[in-house]
Amino acid sequence: MKTVLSRILATTLLAAIAWMLLAGASAPRGNALEPDKLVILSTVDVKGKTDPCG
Amino acid sequence: MDSIRTSYSQVLLVDGGGFFPEDDLHQDVAWFLMDAMKVLGVDAVGMSERELRFGLGYLKAQLKRTQLPMVCANLYEKSSGKLVLAPYVVKQVGSVKVGVFGLMSNTVALGPLGDTLRVEEPTAAAKRTVAELRKRGATVVVLLAQLGKVEGEDLVTAVEGIDAVILGHNMPLLQKGRLIKNTVACYGGEQGQYIGRTLLTLDAKRKMASGDNETFLLGPEIADKKEMAALVKGFNDSFNEKLQKLQKEKAAKDAEKAAQGAPEHYLGGEVCARCHAAEAAQWKATRHAQAWQSLVDAKKDGDPACITCHVVGYNQAGGYKDQATTAAMANVQCESCHGMGSTHDAFSSSPRKVTELTCRICHTKEVSPGFDYALYLPYVSHAGTGQKLPLPGSPMKKQAPSGH
Repeated sequence: MKTVLSRILATTLLAAIAWMLLAGASAPRGNALEPDKLVILSTVDVKGKTDPCG
Repeated sequence: MDSIRTSYSQVLLVDGGGFFPEDDLHQDVAWFLMDAMKVLGVDAVGMSERELRFGLGYLKAQLKRTQLPMVCANLYEKSSGKLVLAPYVVKQVGSVKVGVFGLMSNTVALGPLGDTLRVEEPTAAAKRTVAELRKRGATVVVLLAQLGKVEGEDLVTAVEGIDAVILGHNMPLLQKGRLIKNTVACYGGEQGQYIGRTLLTLDAKRKMASGDNETFLLGPEIADKKEMAALVKGFNDSFNEKLQKLQKEKAAKDAEKAAQGAPEHYLGGEVCARCHAAEAAQWKATRHAQAWQSLVDAKKDGDPACITCHVVGYNQAGGYKDQATTAAMANVQCESCHGMGSTHDAFSSSPRKVTELTCRICHTKEVSPGFDYALYLPYVSHAGTGQKLPLPGSPMKKQAPSGH
């Protein structure tokens, strides 16, 4: 017969495993393309130009 | 953007500031560009005195409306002593915590706003802000510097801890960025025709290990984002209509002045063709003869900044006013290169030379970045000399290279 303590431990262990799985799935480095790169795309001094004249 | 994201998942998109238009007529473009940046999901925007040209109230109202993250760490309200904008943003980009801050020059004139605003010396502001960003856990720090080339380079040399700098404010365009001490500097991305790409390699602690930069021309090979192209087209169409109306009103006023008579004036290509039939026939086959249509196609035929290089003598004596009254003066005609027809006697005895400089009046690096005099000349030269080599693609017109 399981004790209350063992039930609590089992539940806690399950919760911990679930949390680790979820955290692992959502970690940005898990599925990142080129995770060791950061790309900065930049514009500057656009001066009110949306596109060329024609 | 989309193509970059297929190769890299950690992408930061910034605008270095200096995007407000140069004249009051184009004020609508200011709010439109802010809308467009919001749609593109720009992570941070820098600012310069240019963004104050329609008043601080206007800027603040547009920022409130668009919620665009504009940053400046050294612009203060004199009365309260508080910063006008947020000094920085901290963004989690994938696994990297990036701090982006902005600075403007304290040597520029603020005009009437100088009474109420104060610009702090940028180096002191940079040191303080970098320290704060590092304290907040930013492992990569980016500066949007509206400081010009010399002041910007000096600043990143003097201040430790800036990993990348986007340099703006009357910058020379350099295709390749360079490393200034430990900072990767980007020198391009101007006028909506270029985009800078700074690539940082990160170490295990998510700090910059190395980096480089390159600026790309947004030519025809780079496809427009469909939604953005539609947004731009919608704005341009309605804005062009508004400008056309304003131009009509102005043309009426100018016509009154012109009626008073000017000693020299434009005549139009038809008059030239009476004696120069061969040259006129050759001209008809050039793109100069379709210059007006290219503006119409681009829905820019209401924009004075564009019209001036697509007609003869815009708003000058005898020159183009509008389609209703002076349609015959549309297109780049004889007098666009050779001068006013009424001065014909003078230049036949002392011919006005048409040189590369003549072409460069309109084919500037801003509006005609792909222009190559030697390559383009055979396409317009009356002498018919020179080999017509294929013209490179130009962002001016995506189907075929235009007069630009």
